[in-house]
Amino acid sequence: MSEQKHTVKGVDHVAYPTFDPAATVKFYRDVLGFPVVHSICAAGWGPEKHPDFIHFFFDIGNDDRLAFFYYFGLEPFDGGPQGDSYSRFTEDVPIFFIRSRHLAIHVDSEDDLMEYRRRLDGSEWPVEMQIQHETIESIYTHDPNGYMIEITRALRPVTPQEDLDANITIDALVDVVSGPEPSMAALLTRKAELIVERAEAWQQKQDEKEMVSNR
Amino acid sequence: MTTLFVLDVPENTPIAAVAGQDPAVMIDRVGPYYRIVSDAPIVIDRRATKARHAVWYSSVAGLHRSRITQWDKDAMRIEPR
Amino acid sequence: MGIHRIGLVVPSSNVTVETEMPTLLNRHADEQFSFHSSRMRMQAVSPEQLRAMNAQRERCILELGDAGVDAILYACLVALMSVGPGEHQRVEGLVAEQLAAGGSDAVVRSSAGALVEALHAIDAKRIVLVTPYMRPLAEQVVAYIEAEGIQVSDWRALEVADNAEVGCIPGDRVMDAARSLDRTGADALVISACVQMPSLDLVQAAEDEFELPVLSAATAGVYSLLRALGLPVDIPGAGGLLRADAPAAALQ
Repeated sequence: MSEQKHTVKGVDHVAYPTFDPAATVKFYRDVLGFPVVHSICAAGWGPEKHPDFIHFFFDIGNDDRLAFFYYFGLEPFDGGPQGDSYSRFTEDVPIFFIRSRHLAIHVDSEDDLMEYRRRLDGSEWPVEMQIQHETIESIYTHDPNGYMIEITRALRPVTPQEDLDANITIDALVDVVSGPEPSMAALLTRKAELIVERAEAWQQKQDEKEMVSNR
Repeated sequence: MTTLFVLDVPENTPIAAVAGQDPAVMIDRVGPYYRIVSDAPIVIDRRATKARHAVWYSSVAGLHRSRITQWDKDAMRIEPR
Repeated sequence: MGIHRIGLVVPSSNVTVETEMPTLLNRHADEQFSFHSSRMRMQAVSPEQLRAMNAQRERCILELGDAGVDAILYACLVALMSVGPGEHQRVEGLVAEQLAAGGSDAVVRSSAGALVEALHAIDAKRIVLVTPYMRPLAEQVVAYIEAEGIQVSDWRALEVADNAEVGCIPGDRVMDAARSLDRTGADALVISACVQMPSLDLVQAAEDEFELPVLSAATAGVYSLLRALGLPVDIPGAGGLLRADAPAAALQ
């Protein structure tokens, strides 16, 4: 495990292009209530031809920001019929893949989740799905640009053993994808090996930590 | 020998418990994991566990010399490889 | 090498920046400069007009960015200082961000920041200054400089409210105000803490008369731009600040 210091502070901004800034502002600022916190008016002064643009930012909590670029005079590109303002996909691309890129925003409680549900359901962009996953509950919709937005709450706090399991999964994955035929079966087999190698020692350290903190 | 690992978190406890109802099944622990072992195939009835869809399909943490031959909304069946 | 393009963001009624900056920089023995300005509308130096002016900043930067300038000087000292301490850093940051977002390499400086930079460069800890402003604005200029760690031991406010008139204040009036200052213990004299009050010919004369380093907002602006562009600071006849890089023999 690396001993480097981890001093980053989350998402300064995640940025997407938009062809409809008015609808984007309506969705994020007016429906969801995310304040506009910054904007930059600029032109393309680098070597390539580049329209004037506005780069604007919504606060999504925790000082993290969601940002958009609007380029004056730029029309959407060809492609589709699936996808969003950024990525266009042909008919044959499966929806699970298209959904695999999305932004999920955290809320702390059931009440907060239901409040955002209420805001979306009262708008042109109602909640499309509400699902309980392993330890989280989420609502989903698509914004005016076709970007999938998830709002999610944790059903319980993450346990330390889940952190261990996640790290074991990743180590097993890295091993398995460098092998001949990566598959879930191969992954689970490799995980079993790593569990046998590491899990008891991990538990011992956990028990020691607990004893120390209980004194 | 069929061997299956399941992480000990609150959602998974019923799954391990249902697996353990089979008298041929032995359960011990390796760190924070249940190790579920049998000479015969291990079969877990999903409805008995009352596990949600997402929990059910992510409950297997590891397999030792075993393979999953059924994993659907009815049951999970693990056999020796 | 080529011509260094200097962008100037000026208050619309300002005529002195576009006179003094080219005059000074064109004295450079080795380097060549061209000047391109963008204007912010302002008639009177009042808080309301100053606030409105700052809002035009985005348009001015867009215009100068299009000209592919190498440096931008945000040349209204009192517009920044009247907002409060730290304002020049904030505005320079916003302009830099705007330029960077559009892929421009231009460096950014402000007259307010340049004055502070130049005073630090000559290690001036205690200064005296002359401003054309009404007293309340002059007090804000003094407070801004003091917030940067430089003590202002004496100052004059010539109390000319109309910016066009400020551009016509005769040199004698400025020199008389400078002479009336108590310069005891001062490390430097800022003969014009304003980019509209003409002072170019006064800087060297005052330095000779008072035997004290003398700067103006204009000479500080030139210093800051040359440093920002990595060019030698060697401009004759406008005070010792601008001879920082002159060969030793030439200073005698």
